[in-house]
Amino acid sequence: MTATALLQVFASGLMTGLIYGLVASGLSLIFGLMEVVNFAHGEFLMLAMFATFGLVVFTGIDPGLLAPLVAAAMFVFGAAVYALVIRFAMRVETNRGMVQIFATFGLSILMQGAAQYLFSPDYRSIRTSWLGERTLHVGGVFLPWPLLFGGLVSIATFGGLYLVMTRTAFGKALEATREDQGAVALVGIDCNRMFALGWGLGAALVGLAGAVLAVFYYVFPGVGASFSLIAYVTVALGGFGSVFGALAAGIVVGLVEAFTAVVLPPELKSLGIYALYLVIVFLRPAGLFGKF
Amino acid sequence: MLLEVGTLTTAYQGLVAISDISLSIEKGEIVVVAGANGAGKSTLLKSIAGLAHPRAGTIAFEGARIEGIAGHRITALGIAYVPENRRLFPRLSVADNLSLGSYLFRKRADRDAPLENVFALFPRLRERLRQRAGTLSGGEQQMLAIGRALMTRPKLLMLDEPSQGIMPRLVDEIFAAVQAIRATGVTVLLVEQRLAESLEIADRAYVLQTGRVILSGTAAAVREDPNIREAYLGI
Repeated sequence: MTATALLQVFASGLMTGLIYGLVASGLSLIFGLMEVVNFAHGEFLMLAMFATFGLVVFTGIDPGLLAPLVAAAMFVFGAAVYALVIRFAMRVETNRGMVQIFATFGLSILMQGAAQYLFSPDYRSIRTSWLGERTLHVGGVFLPWPLLFGGLVSIATFGGLYLVMTRTAFGKALEATREDQGAVALVGIDCNRMFALGWGLGAALVGLAGAVLAVFYYVFPGVGASFSLIAYVTVALGGFGSVFGALAAGIVVGLVEAFTAVVLPPELKSLGIYALYLVIVFLRPAGLFGKF
Repeated sequence: MLLEVGTLTTAYQGLVAISDISLSIEKGEIVVVAGANGAGKSTLLKSIAGLAHPRAGTIAFEGARIEGIAGHRITALGIAYVPENRRLFPRLSVADNLSLGSYLFRKRADRDAPLENVFALFPRLRERLRQRAGTLSGGEQQMLAIGRALMTRPKLLMLDEPSQGIMPRLVDEIFAAVQAIRATGVTVLLVEQRLAESLEIADRAYVLQTGRVILSGTAAAVREDPNIREAYLGI
């Protein structure tokens, strides 16, 4: 295998990994904040992809430009899911963990069913993107623009997220809430409000990922499953609750997947990820990175 | 009257922790609530702070009823509560813990003025600003917890056993700080097991036993009560 070919595999693995990190970030953020695993995370992604698709069809605006709008809509959706479902699931006295699992799992089934009913199980794709057919060609390496765009959005998002978490009063309040949700009332913070904002932020992050993926991936009701499994592996690998661990783990997953596809038949490309996951779980059950 | 508690009853999981407690605090006072373990002192503070929900009775702060209001709203009204286990954010820095205390304030002056006040009270917090709260000594954590509470600019500061788990040398410092805090116009409700020391700085005291007030009066009167002398002061 030539150096250029290796570089090609590395570059596309890296870009895919950045997107995986973005897909997983919201899941990790919500888990870190309140120790709830959102089993509807894949469906959040699916919803964002359909939202992007729908907006492109109705407005004709380029999907790349619609990403912030989709993220904003998903923010509202995420906060609403907290207020209407999760808040009540957290209030139960017994078997709270189970109730939360089934609440989010039920939500995922509901969302998938609703999507099939409303949009049919057909595969759709966006054909009108400016990014669509373009490819960046540098030094023998070809990178499709949609993939590159996804990687760049991911980097920008994590950069912005870092600033919000470390420099703003909201970020500090979010961190305090994840540390001790019972103590924030002592400084006047409403932990219910922080949870709703956290769900909003988590959904907005996966919303950005959905907008980016909709440019080059098929949009269909079951699309969440293909990414959520990778997201769970990424979150476990990065350390449950660690948002920036999810970025690093996403990159690892993307690279491992790309190089596995070189060695094994492409349909077995996921094998490397799960093998890596098993190794990590045995050697470092807490994931590669601690919290945050 | 700054705070007026009327025949308050609070139960935890069906067990009555305090019953029919009445208590009042004037603006500018230091009031001590004393009593053995399990007498209901902490439950009383939690009920006022909005972290435990009273079954019956009233709590009025500055003339307005506040029982049953959520904890974060009580803080915003001007009641700061430092619980027994302090509940700092251990992985966050001292600076972050303090700035979280002023979360409710957006104006720079509202955040900076209390901070200077806290540093004047506990100079060693200034030296530890970058350190994680969880790595501080017990005494320093207590100072930080009180400092964080003062950052909310309270009218009433409620301290639950501030001397617990602290080196004796620092206990004096904490008691001196409580007096200094009162001197800045903040009213203090102090729950303490160290009755002798707290009666020295307090104006009035309430003594609780199994969830009820068994004695109340000025600090001097409580100090002279024969039962108290025998049971708590060991004289």
